[in-house]
Amino acid sequence: MDFEETPSKITTKEFLAVVLAGFGNELAPLTSNNGDEPCPKALLPIVNKPMLDYPLAWLEASGIRDVLLICPAPHRASVLHYINSDSSASSFPSLRIDLQAFDESENLTVGTCQLLRHFAHRIDQDFIIVPCDFIPPPSLPLSRVLNKFRTEATYDGAIATTLFFEQPKPDKTSTPEEWRSGPASTSVVWDEKSGTLLHVDTPDEIDDDPEEMALNMSLLRRYPRSKLSANLQDAHVYVCRRTVLDVLKEKPRFDSIREEFIPWLCTPQYNSRKRSKYGHILNPLHNLPSQRLALEHCTLHTGLPSAYEPQSALSSPMDEVAPTETSSLRVGVVVHRASAGYTARANTLQTYLELNRHFLSQTTYALPIDSESRSLIDPKAQITSDSMVGHTTKVGERTNIKKSVIGKHCVIGKYVRIVGCVILDHCVISDGAKLDGCILGTNTTVGVKSELSKCITQAGYEVGDGENYKNERLDVSDWAAPQHDDDTSTEESDEE
Amino acid sequence: MPPKSSSSKEKDLTDEDEVLQAVILADSFNKRFKPLTSGKPRCLLPVCNATLLDWTFESLALAGVQEIFVVCRSYPELVKAAIRDSKWSKPSLGLKIVSIITSKETFTPGDAMRDIYTRGIITSDFVLVMGDLVSNIRIDEVVRVHKERRRTNKDAIMTMVVKPSGVVHRTRSKGESAIFVLDAETSECLHYEHVTGYPPKKHAKIPREILAEHPEIEIRNDLIDCGIDVCSVEVPSLFQDNFDYGDIRRDFVHGVLTSDLLMKSIHCYVAREGYAARVADTRSYDSVSKDILARWTFPLVPDDNHPGGHSYEHIRGNKYLAKGNSVVLSRTCKVGSNCLIGAGTHIADNANIQASVIGQRCTIEANVTLRNVYVFDDAHIGAGSVIEYSIVGSNVKVGEGSTVARGCLIGDDVILGKNAKLGEFERVSRRRDEGEADESDKEDEDEQSEDSELEEAEARQDSESITAIIGEGSNAIVWPKGPRADEEDLDEVERYNNQRLMRIGDPASDLPLEYEGTESDSDASERESDESDLEMHALSRISSATSTSAISTSTPGLNIHTLHDAAAYSEFQAEVTQSLDRAFAEGHSVDNAAVELKTLRMASNVPLRKVREAVVASIVERIEVVEGDAAAQRREISKMVGRWGPLIDKIGGVDPVETIEVLQYHCAKSARLPLFGQILAALYQDDIVEEDDIRAWHARPEAKGEGLKDTSFAENVKRCWLVGTKMIEQFNEQESSEEESGEEDSDEEEQPSKKPAAATAQAAVGKKEESSEEESSSGDDESGEDDSQDSEDDAPATKAATAAPSQPSKPASTPASTKESEEEESEGSEEEESEDDALAPSQPAASKPSASSTTPAVSAAPSAPPPVPAAHAPALVSSTAAPAQPSTQDEESSEEESESEASDKEPAQTAQSQAPPAVASSKQPVTAPSKAESEESEGSEDSEEEEESEDDAASRATEPVPQAQVSTPKASTETARPPATITTQTESVATIPAAVPRPRPGPDVVGGQPLRPQQAAWRRHSIHFGDKVLKSGTTTGEKARRVVTTAGRQMKKGILTILRRNEREKQSTR
Repeated sequence: MDFEETPSKITTKEFLAVVLAGFGNELAPLTSNNGDEPCPKALLPIVNKPMLDYPLAWLEASGIRDVLLICPAPHRASVLHYINSDSSASSFPSLRIDLQAFDESENLTVGTCQLLRHFAHRIDQDFIIVPCDFIPPPSLPLSRVLNKFRTEATYDGAIATTLFFEQPKPDKTSTPEEWRSGPASTSVVWDEKSGTLLHVDTPDEIDDDPEEMALNMSLLRRYPRSKLSANLQDAHVYVCRRTVLDVLKEKPRFDSIREEFIPWLCTPQYNSRKRSKYGHILNPLHNLPSQRLALEHCTLHTGLPSAYEPQSALSSPMDEVAPTETSSLRVGVVVHRASAGYTARANTLQTYLELNRHFLSQTTYALPIDSESRSLIDPKAQITSDSMVGHTTKVGERTNIKKSVIGKHCVIGKYVRIVGCVILDHCVISDGAKLDGCILGTNTTVGVKSELSKCITQAGYEVGDGENYKNERLDVSDWAAPQHDDDTSTEESDEE
Repeated sequence: MPPKSSSSKEKDLTDEDEVLQAVILADSFNKRFKPLTSGKPRCLLPVCNATLLDWTFESLALAGVQEIFVVCRSYPELVKAAIRDSKWSKPSLGLKIVSIITSKETFTPGDAMRDIYTRGIITSDFVLVMGDLVSNIRIDEVVRVHKERRRTNKDAIMTMVVKPSGVVHRTRSKGESAIFVLDAETSECLHYEHVTGYPPKKHAKIPREILAEHPEIEIRNDLIDCGIDVCSVEVPSLFQDNFDYGDIRRDFVHGVLTSDLLMKSIHCYVAREGYAARVADTRSYDSVSKDILARWTFPLVPDDNHPGGHSYEHIRGNKYLAKGNSVVLSRTCKVGSNCLIGAGTHIADNANIQASVIGQRCTIEANVTLRNVYVFDDAHIGAGSVIEYSIVGSNVKVGEGSTVARGCLIGDDVILGKNAKLGEFERVSRRRDEGEADESDKEDEDEQSEDSELEEAEARQDSESITAIIGEGSNAIVWPKGPRADEEDLDEVERYNNQRLMRIGDPASDLPLEYEGTESDSDASERESDESDLEMHALSRISSATSTSAISTSTPGLNIHTLHDAAAYSEFQAEVTQSLDRAFAEGHSVDNAAVELKTLRMASNVPLRKVREAVVASIVERIEVVEGDAAAQRREISKMVGRWGPLIDKIGGVDPVETIEVLQYHCAKSARLPLFGQILAALYQDDIVEEDDIRAWHARPEAKGEGLKDTSFAENVKRCWLVGTKMIEQFNEQESSEEESGEEDSDEEEQPSKKPAAATAQAAVGKKEESSEEESSSGDDESGEDDSQDSEDDAPATKAATAAPSQPSKPASTPASTKESEEEESEGSEEEESEDDALAPSQPAASKPSASSTTPAVSAAPSAPPPVPAAHAPALVSSTAAPAQPSTQDEESSEEESESEASDKEPAQTAQSQAPPAVASSKQPVTAPSKAESEESEGSEDSEEEEESEDDAASRATEPVPQAQVSTPKASTETARPPATITTQTESVATIPAAVPRPRPGPDVVGGQPLRPQQAAWRRHSIHFGDKVLKSGTTTGEKARRVVTTAGRQMKKGILTILRRNEREKQSTR
């Protein structure tokens, strides 16, 4: 008997994963070019693993095999290199990654909807949209989302399932104010009992009426007890029926999936006109009633979500509500609570740093096993257990590293003090430098006895000897040099 | 009966040394149960044979309330008596019931609360309920929770009891419900939104600010508001402080939650168990009765704890029969399930009773069918009657064989004759005796409104049809159906269609309750969300472009104003029309009429624009239409505008741009559409609008009819706009040509006084013009000179129609002479004025010395170096019309269209031929605008320089200006030129009025033949200035600089031309 063939056959063609990798403008200057070399966001490491690793591993764990990876054209080469490199090829042996590039520049980004429309011909089954920056916790397997979609799409006519996670209140002290440029969490209305996404408060709506949020009464009639949460974040993970793409094609105006299309997709489930207009496109299934009946008799399945039952014991009977249409066109939602494990999208500097710290707190540092790397670390260096040092990184004498991630191939001099930093690969930190809460892009050079506090450097940036920065974004640019002198002087005067 | 359970609570309460108080608002403050409640208050209506007040007492007694204040307003004596006679006032119960009689001026629960406050009877937290409550909820538990919360949070002033039910529940009112936004954990009510069933609400609006402090909230549309509130002592005082709080929910709760100052919070108690419902309307009367019969209110059920103290026997199938063998049931009668039959009732053979409640001492005769009927005490139902879904008052006698369809309410003591046939939802009550009516009038002032309704009903009783309904020998009157006349005054909740959702037996399936169900809305919302980008842009442009935001209300396509506003406005307009009628008929002064209008406007509270619309409309509609005689028509217009036009600017604000727009929109709707151009011209003549205003109006998107649906209206608007286009074109042409042809113009002007010599000279001008134009046409073929040729008198008549539409059918030899005379006549009045002006011409000129320095340009040479191009014309155009400049291109290109449209006969070919010059000329203005303003502000000399600098711009045009050349000699022949006209050059806007009249005295004075050729030339050149501009541009080198002295005049002429053109169009169409 051949046991190996069977499971893979089941999962092969069910879903196609669409992984979207963008420029990551919010992560600038980390994602700014290093000279002529692009620094793709997808390959920024989180605890020394490219962030793309996380969603890919997540996909693979759920049995997904086909991945359509979409990245900007300038990043194509490096991403392709990554995919074919030993590390990823060996870690995701079952994934078939189809890398597609799209033409866009940092200044002229293409809307996610447009991407999807453009590559629609490559998608011929139900699909999952996953961003390259979503770092799922182990407590949240993708199969949880997929299973919800599978059941509901089958018996209830759901058209999509989304994933939202609760963002813990950010620690105000850890990062400077300017880093928090990321999107604030959106307000969503959802039905907790059935796990249905009902309404997403879009930026457009906020612009229209900053005072009040308008909810359709038909929504409240259909879901009379819905929840309005302002502390949830969209993971940008959407499991969709293929038919959703057909509707997307009819809506050429939409630009962003998250901000426009998904909010719109929520409306046909309660707006009867849109239902009649798009229902047949969205859901051509016909066997729902029988499926539903079967499920109602299934002992494992508990309760149909759409019917509303008050739990009180003494209540006069409700009026009969005629069973409505067969397909609900629902948009399901899986909500991941913060208590169930830390999750974030690494799409802001703050979350990027926090993700690194989060993973650090879970690992314990041990000196490298291979002798070559080990020999590079001076015995007199102090590295706390909640730190991480990449291989072939040299650490000098009496250097102190706490709560930090040091990338690969770095050179760290003597008497260096590094606390709460993320230092990417190939950095050179000279003797006596002090770094506190910084993120150093690849190839950053820090001069002797420089002090950096809560700074971010672009790849290839050079901090001169004895320079002193606080709460700065340090970009490499031609005019930057004189500017820096001014800045430093003001900085210093401030400090004085 | 005091529940046993309350004893423990009592201990708690005595620990706190507080007596639990309750307030019952025993008046409904509405009329939903009429006519059942004419004669007794609602709280004394029986539900399952116990009065509502008894049910309420029972509910409160369950909670261990010790002191109850009953606030009653209607029929207080009856309430008092009922309380006195009830079991509740027995001393053994330890319940202290105080009835408070509030004044007749108490119209809302809020008033009642203020009354309570002034009486100072509340000493601690208390329970506030309405007098129609049926509940078995443990209110004592709610009180406990409330007090506990109060211990930590003094600002939690109120706890509302709500019950989860689902959206659709028979005790949840469809007509009046609410959305509660609660904090999921604390049940604090963060937002309260009242929902009216009809018209259906579209959106619930949730303030975003509550999310800041409460990141997770629940939006609940599934709660029944039980009408039970546990309030702290501050609540009555809050009502006192806010005298406008009427309704407890909509005003008080909403007010407290939205107040930034009060800092009070209101909580909800979500009752998981128990039953609570209000009998707020006849529908809930039905459903609560059913619930009681179905024992959902246990332990408050008829066979146990019956609040009325009756005792019933519970039989299988939820049938209840009064105990004590007083009920007489025939052997063959059928009593279905869910029935309750009171003591002493007789039910005869073959009677069929289903799901009904029958009071005490009733008689149901043979073969009666009752389905879902509530019969009060002492009723008598005649044999063979059929009654469904109705409420029959006490002591009612229904004749044999009657039919009462669903939803009827039969008031107390009504007698229905034999075979009465009450249709669905009839309401009948007993006719009052004469004396009784008077008496009741005297003593019951509070029932006045009801009486009025009743009287109305009485007045309506024409015997025939009514008798058919209520049968012979009835004492009943039938109440009117349908919405009341004063529907608009009613509260939204109480309006007819919404009340339909609250009446017994009315499925109201014809009312669209889901907003999305209605076609229009869902369309709109869809469009809104999907395709409306363009619309939105248009809208925002409109709003930014308009000075008054009210603008949108006048554009029907946007459909912003509500029906209500529309009604108010039409009323207002009717009043204005009347007022103006009076003013016109009695010859009021404009000032007096203006005062009257202002008063009207204050009274009706309409925006200024509406007044303007009304005034313009009245004026326009009052213009007599003179068929077939254009000159007479023009006279009519100028008479009317001259007399009443000034009123437009005296209504409280001057906004000529809006005036034009209002005129445009009115004309577009009116049969007087063809008069638009003439009226506008008349307004211009009378200085009610200025050129700049016309340009500004013209540039607006509204003027073009943007945002309007593509209807005939929009088309008309567009047509008006095109008239404006032509007018502006004339402005442009005149101004631009002024310089070259300044002398010529002045010639023409002077002609009247200069007499024949000038006239002949003018004739010469005419000739030379011809020749020059021919020249130019020969040189300018590609730019389509055809039309300029056409304009020549000797051109073929067919062609003439296109270019100079005023001369369509004229023989070439007598150019427009007949027309001319017409024109003169028609303008007689204006010209008289202008004569006057001409007599005192020098003031403006004196005020503008700088301008006068350039005046010599009359003779062309001295003031300006010879080679100066005539090209400053375009610059000037732009200086006078800087705001409108950007749009000139469009205007000019659209002219072609308009003309072809205007006269059907015009061949399309010629229309096309006009196009090229228009396009070409548009180039110049485009280059000018930036400089235009500076020119305006600086003196005339500056402008000259500017003009020079414009040379190159002008020189782009390819044609020389022969005309200017030609006219020069003539100009020099002139002796005196009115200096006033000079000023117009530099201050075109300001001085137009002064300059305007001058050109025209001539025709009037002379009026004879000699002038005609000259005038023809006028007209011609005013029509063809556009072409001349082009020509003039190229002549730069040859021409002496001319000073523009006659801008105003030219403009006037332009308008005249338009007028004439319009006439011609009319004639040609005729």
